[in-house]
Amino acid sequence: MTTAVLLLLLAFGAYLVAVLENWATSGRFQLATPAFSALALLGRESVLPRKPDRIFFEVAPTLLLISAVLAAAVIPLTPNLIITDLATGALFINAALVYVLVALIMAGWGPNGAYAMIGGWRFLGQLIAYAMLIVMPITAVVMRAESLLTTQIVVSQAGLWNIVYQPVGFVLFFIAAMALAFLPPFDLTTAKGELAGGVEAEYSGVRLAVFRLGRLVLIITLAAATVVFYLGGWQGPWLPPWAWSAIKILAVTAIMLLAGRYMPRIREANLLSWCWMFGIPLALLNIFLVGVLVLVFS
Amino acid sequence: MTAQMFFIGFFGLASVWFGIVVFRTFSMVRSALALLFSQTALGAMFLSMQAEFLGVLQIMMMATEMSIMAIFMVMFMMDPGGLGEMDMTHQKRLSLGAGIVAFVAAVAVAVFVDWGPIADVAPDAAQQTVDLGLELLGRSMLIFETAGITILTAMIAATAVAIPPVKRKPSKGATHHEH
Repeated sequence: MTTAVLLLLLAFGAYLVAVLENWATSGRFQLATPAFSALALLGRESVLPRKPDRIFFEVAPTLLLISAVLAAAVIPLTPNLIITDLATGALFINAALVYVLVALIMAGWGPNGAYAMIGGWRFLGQLIAYAMLIVMPITAVVMRAESLLTTQIVVSQAGLWNIVYQPVGFVLFFIAAMALAFLPPFDLTTAKGELAGGVEAEYSGVRLAVFRLGRLVLIITLAAATVVFYLGGWQGPWLPPWAWSAIKILAVTAIMLLAGRYMPRIREANLLSWCWMFGIPLALLNIFLVGVLVLVFS
Repeated sequence: MTAQMFFIGFFGLASVWFGIVVFRTFSMVRSALALLFSQTALGAMFLSMQAEFLGVLQIMMMATEMSIMAIFMVMFMMDPGGLGEMDMTHQKRLSLGAGIVAFVAAVAVAVFVDWGPIADVAPDAAQQTVDLGLELLGRSMLIFETAGITILTAMIAATAVAIPPVKRKPSKGATHHEH
């Protein structure tokens, strides 16, 4: 029952993300547009490129969707509204989201097209840049909660949210999450203006619809993870827990989508050097500071 | 119990099968990702054995590692797409012999080592994570640190070897005499 409710909420959330993304990119707030776009995609022919790696080409969109949904499985919306409260929850989110990379490499390699392949390998290049900035800030969050349980992580922020307790970790995680969802300014994987869609370039029809759905779910999952790790999850005054979760997740999504609009795209080589020269040292510093704070105040 | 045995066997066979696929395909990316799924199946075996942390960790770590291996294979192999049907095997007899010896040795270790009393019930997942942490920072620390440093040294050495040597011109005013 909980699983069904959460999957429905996830689908609804993905729809809202589509509305927000449309709003952020075109400036028009239209509630029905994503539905019409989806219908149009489903109605179109799904072209199979010449000499594809058929297995990869077919598996990639589904794998993207599955990994995003799996990551969402350990995210609590209220103390009880969670698909499975794994004892390794915070690690499991990483494990599931790494397969986004595998899916995009498959999507890049599969269709036997240059644009797609460049897009796929670019995503790998970006991953080498930001991967540590996902794992290390989560390590610091887990240190404070002294548990990998995501529900425990939310409870640990009862007195003070992690965004205040470890702001450096929050900033790094937020940037890395945007890169993982290949949102602008890190959208070189799809690169609309330059690679004609990158990994999406050779997909059409129902396959593209699944791919886009997977990405929307990925965005909302990452926003929800940010809320759980840094913004106190379901906690807040007056309103019920589920409402706080919903408000926070949608706010984070909106900020993620809007932030990209006002920033220039970052070349993956620059991202790589900045992440390794500044990001990782900052992440280590964050772990050290949190360690000191945990030891002093507990 | 039987369901557990079934899943351990199933993922074990899946792991072996994907290991075979590595050498049955000509495409470098397929080969790398087959190895990934072999390792993922190993992670699933850990999960079937109720070792949650180890399973999730295995499934997480291998995805990045094998993907990075895939791009290196594509970069350095002359036929990454496998359209030329390049043979993926070499030194067949040696590797066959090494494989058999390693298999026999692994089975021998599994069968003949005295593993001590076998636990009836696995500790719960959170407790396992705690135990593992204490183990890594206690008895096994030296082994893990040695392995980590060795890998780091190998990576730095490999990078150093891969960079083409640059001939430096002697700078002006340097006391350098050529004979």
